[in-house]
Amino acid sequence: MSRIFITGMGVISAIGNSVAENHAALKDGICGLKKELNLFPSKYAGVLPFGQVQISSVALKQKLQITESGVTRTSLLAAHALEEAVQNSGLSAAEISSAETALIGANTVGGMCLTDELYADANTKEGGSEYTSSYDCASVNLFLQKHYKMNGIINTINTACSSSANAIMYGAMLLQNGFAKRAIVGGTDSLAKFTINGFNALHILSPDNCTPFDEGRQGLNLGEGAAFLVLEKEEDLNGKKVYAELAGYCNSNDAYHPSSLSDEGDGPFLSMQGALQIANLAADKIDFINAHGTATENNDRVESEAMIRLFDKPPAFSSTKGNIGHTLGASGAIEAVYSILSLLNQEVYANLHFKNSIPSTGLTPVQEYKKMPVNHVMSNSFGFGGNCSSLIFSKV
Amino acid sequence: MQDNIELINEPADKKLLAIEPSYTQIPPGILRRMGKAIRMGVGTALPLIDDKNPVDGIIMGSANAGLDECVKFLMQIVDYDEGQLTPSNFVQSTGNVIAGQLGLISKNKGYNITHIHQGLAFENALIDAIMQLNANPEKSYLLGGVDEISPYHYNIETLNGAYKKEDISNKSLYESDTAGCLPGEGAAMFVVNAKADLAIAGVKAIHTIHTYDVDLVKQQLISFLEKNQVSEIDLLISGENGDNRTLPFYTACESLLGVDISIVRFKHLCGDFATASTIGLWYACEISQTQHIPQQMVKRNSAKSAYKNILLYNNFKGYQHSFMLIA
Repeated sequence: MSRIFITGMGVISAIGNSVAENHAALKDGICGLKKELNLFPSKYAGVLPFGQVQISSVALKQKLQITESGVTRTSLLAAHALEEAVQNSGLSAAEISSAETALIGANTVGGMCLTDELYADANTKEGGSEYTSSYDCASVNLFLQKHYKMNGIINTINTACSSSANAIMYGAMLLQNGFAKRAIVGGTDSLAKFTINGFNALHILSPDNCTPFDEGRQGLNLGEGAAFLVLEKEEDLNGKKVYAELAGYCNSNDAYHPSSLSDEGDGPFLSMQGALQIANLAADKIDFINAHGTATENNDRVESEAMIRLFDKPPAFSSTKGNIGHTLGASGAIEAVYSILSLLNQEVYANLHFKNSIPSTGLTPVQEYKKMPVNHVMSNSFGFGGNCSSLIFSKV
Repeated sequence: MQDNIELINEPADKKLLAIEPSYTQIPPGILRRMGKAIRMGVGTALPLIDDKNPVDGIIMGSANAGLDECVKFLMQIVDYDEGQLTPSNFVQSTGNVIAGQLGLISKNKGYNITHIHQGLAFENALIDAIMQLNANPEKSYLLGGVDEISPYHYNIETLNGAYKKEDISNKSLYESDTAGCLPGEGAAMFVVNAKADLAIAGVKAIHTIHTYDVDLVKQQLISFLEKNQVSEIDLLISGENGDNRTLPFYTACESLLGVDISIVRFKHLCGDFATASTIGLWYACEISQTQHIPQQMVKRNSAKSAYKNILLYNNFKGYQHSFMLIA
């Protein structure tokens, strides 16, 4: 197997529009959650906290010089992060459009951020909005493929909240199997009336800022954003700057319930264990875990117990959901960028809003920003449908 | 389905709907709550992955698996003005619902993924399966594709001009020379592994591309065949769908392959949909195994008496193209 390296990164979230801005905000422990939502009318605007990206869709279009019609906010966020990643990696237009460059993107919302427009279009047989080709999740990557004139393998993955971790894994496997020479991998999702009401109906939205791994946690906050990484093989680097190695990855299924994890946490346990096996690392080599940590009652308890089961004494860990909310299909990719920032800067970021440990686990996440040696970071993403994925990034 | 390979199901209301079985393997309580795509997918898969034949993972391709549930949930949001909603439509609206349900019902804790890249959703699932088997040659996986015609998806795709406006029968589909396809739906599932000696058929190679350029598709087919060192294609399974906007691609590929190969078509049987190539691959397996072609599928006969190398070419909306080589 070839070693796979990250040669470029891009991210946009509630705490910043670039890798540098996100990094500064993580160091300062900035919480991007606000009881403010001005993307669309909703009765939850001003009531619940959201992690909204602080740039309008109109401004995104202008900044990216996107003039095509029917481009949704989900696609715009993706384009913003992808543009940063490819520039960061120094990919030329010819390299991006090469048949050897794959684009693997994940999202769960697609054009459903336009909840009201979709409702109207789905119930008419005449007329229709400019978005009739943009509702499905694949529309994001079809837009990016056309915009960047890409000719390699293009794919869209949806495994709910673990989607973009699987996009990263699929990209890595394309390189391993010679289906591509470089892969642009990541995910995006924008806030939508659809997901707000969906998670609200499940009673897992927190009325206040979410408190991952805290005894009194009340649920998650929804966020939005996007992140992309450029993956390349060791033998193709030619002295190119690399940020980290993607050392391990694994996907497994909890096979327990459509929308919650089992008490045993087999899915999370198996994905973490499998990623260690691929990376050929003993559990005690993991210095830090970027936990899924959504702050739902179910996730944080089960994830903690699975960490204890695998690691006995889990390493330092934290969740960044208190900074940016749960960005669903983007979260695995955004947190991959955060994991790589930890490796690059030999530091870990605070798990915001934490007060007391969950009594049954006694685990305490990292509570303040600190410098420490970080050689291997594990990043977890778990989703509906029992889909669990873990990635391991290593220092170079 | 083998018994029905000679059957032609006439379209009703300009749609070719799937003929559904009674789904005896799905517990009735669960079946009642399943949307059509979900029950077609789960119902097609379960007979392949019973306790005697467990698989190591589940790899699904579906463009719109959860869309019907999604729009039902949208209705709730609008009708109840974001009030107290029931979450079941929301939970079933995620694209990974079929692979998730299959994992749950079959207690499969292995690799589980859903590819949703529209007209190449199944192709990416197949590429994934190839890669999983390269990494784990001792394992076997469930690979499948499924999509339904839901009322809402039908409306949106009608707005997009995807479907024929006129009534059409299966028999005249390919002579219609009008824009639009005959919408269809269906599911096909495969158990895939790296054990060639026991296999019904083998997928030797796959290639995908996004383009509206006929010449580029031709070039890619030439290099696909060269790269895979195929001296001779015996049979072309064409995804021709009666849409005069996509016909030039199929004609171009046929022209490259010479006059002495047989050509068959299948979309008068299942209609067209984003993962229809799944059905094409099922026919490839069936023909490879039985060496028999139902006459109503034949576009062009040849003197060939054996079908060893089969090429499946499909495109979705004239933009997402795939070649599969089955041997």
